[in-house]
Amino acid sequence: MTMTGRAQVAEPAAVAPGQETSKPATAPKRPATAPAKPTAAPAKPAAAAVRHAAPSSTPGPAPIPINRTVIVLDPAHGGVDSGSQISDTTVEKNVTLALAFRLRSLLTARGFSVVMTRDADAPAVPNAAGSAMTLDDRAGIANHAHAAACLVLHATPSGNGVHLYRSELEASEGQPTVVPWLTAQAAWIPQSRLLEKQMTTAFSRSGLALVTSSASVRPIDSLTCPALVVELAPSGDDADSINDTDYQQKVALAIAGTLLVWQNQVQPPARLAAAAKETVGQATPSDAAGAQP
Amino acid sequence: MIQRHQRIVFWCLVVCIIGMGVLLAVERQRGRERIAALAEDETPLDAPTAMAETVTLDLANDADGSIAPASRQIALPEEPNARARALIDHLIAEYALPGSAHALVPGAAVAEVFLVPLPLVGYTTDATSSATKDGGFRPTLPVAQSDPDPVQPKQPGGELAVIDLHSTFVNQHPSGVEVESLTLRSILGTLHANLPQIEQVRFLVDGQARETLAGHADLLRTYPAADTTSSGSAASEGQSN
Repeated sequence: MTMTGRAQVAEPAAVAPGQETSKPATAPKRPATAPAKPTAAPAKPAAAAVRHAAPSSTPGPAPIPINRTVIVLDPAHGGVDSGSQISDTTVEKNVTLALAFRLRSLLTARGFSVVMTRDADAPAVPNAAGSAMTLDDRAGIANHAHAAACLVLHATPSGNGVHLYRSELEASEGQPTVVPWLTAQAAWIPQSRLLEKQMTTAFSRSGLALVTSSASVRPIDSLTCPALVVELAPSGDDADSINDTDYQQKVALAIAGTLLVWQNQVQPPARLAAAAKETVGQATPSDAAGAQP
Repeated sequence: MIQRHQRIVFWCLVVCIIGMGVLLAVERQRGRERIAALAEDETPLDAPTAMAETVTLDLANDADGSIAPASRQIALPEEPNARARALIDHLIAEYALPGSAHALVPGAAVAEVFLVPLPLVGYTTDATSSATKDGGFRPTLPVAQSDPDPVQPKQPGGELAVIDLHSTFVNQHPSGVEVESLTLRSILGTLHANLPQIEQVRFLVDGQARETLAGHADLLRTYPAADTTSSGSAASEGQSN
């Protein structure tokens, strides 16, 4: 799959001070940045994580940090962007925000720190008050969190139940040091597939109608974390059933339960040092301008 | 007492008036007959270009998010660009039918389809001296693009299809990740099934790049034309795993 367009590093924006909206009431028992395999033998943590690094006498690149207790929620749309018209009185941006609030409560109660890209109607750009937040800004917030999972929340009047999507990118063997912005998710595709599989099992147990597929929905291709798009559809024929609190709570419980198990299973991809050098060598001057050292 | 010459003038005028009335009625009738003759002329303005052939349309279903192939008998033009456009028009027309599993508003969806040979190259004027022999005319020549990593074909003869959608179609398209993705996957699968030389697809709206179809599906990226039916997608996923 070929992607065209600009290339940047995977972390273009800083996290606003107020973006990390929710902290657990009690401090998490795990460290904020856990090693790649905390249950593995402590003598070789880097070697266990960097599976695809080139064999050499010099130590391999450092593993990609991951915060196992951090979950990123991106309630899509907001402000002037209302999203789809669910019914005469309901618009998508309100449904996604309501579902995000429910999820945040459940995840916080389970010891997670939740980073939300917006917690009000109109999202604002970090460090640029008054400007509308772009999809790239949302990806930047998510990538800075090094989260165990990133969920992009959407809602639709068509279909029933929950629609679960992962990125359409083909999986790469690892994450290069210089990450192409438009294909940053490629290194995380195997983890996203695993998370999707576990979510599928959880939704099936909950008796929720489920459609799983892949889709190209920005900004999921730019996320450097296990990422899924969760699209909430009405539970029945009535479009307003999407606002049903019991229905939303059921969906949120299934997601929160999955993430509780997932935080012990997530593994960051290997960091590809050699591939990064090749990428820099082939990049155009404009591409290399945003390269990460 | 009316004089004789006055009576003669009077009757001459009456005869002229009656004659003009008759002439007007006759000409009016002739005009009607001419228009009627034109309306009844069933001679086609454009002769049919091709016989109906069997094509495969990848039809989407909103209920389960699936795409299934369906065969149709459709007369398509021979020219590849027009053929691709006609295929998409027929596909969208299927979705506009009552009871469609992926309901879209009726109307023209595609303004134009351009098929571009891969790899993508630029063009320049021939600056050689021989090129100016015939009256100073300098032909254009394909040259390698400055992009060091241009879009390459997977097979020789592979093409990039640039689909220019009407904004009226895009603005009326239902909004949602599933419904928008299904529309795009349906178009990609239909092109792949009937025009296998198309390897990649880009979308424009009224000739301009647009971020999303209706707020969700990305229209800025280049999509691979592939088998997007549910069985085809499952097979490709199995291979990648």
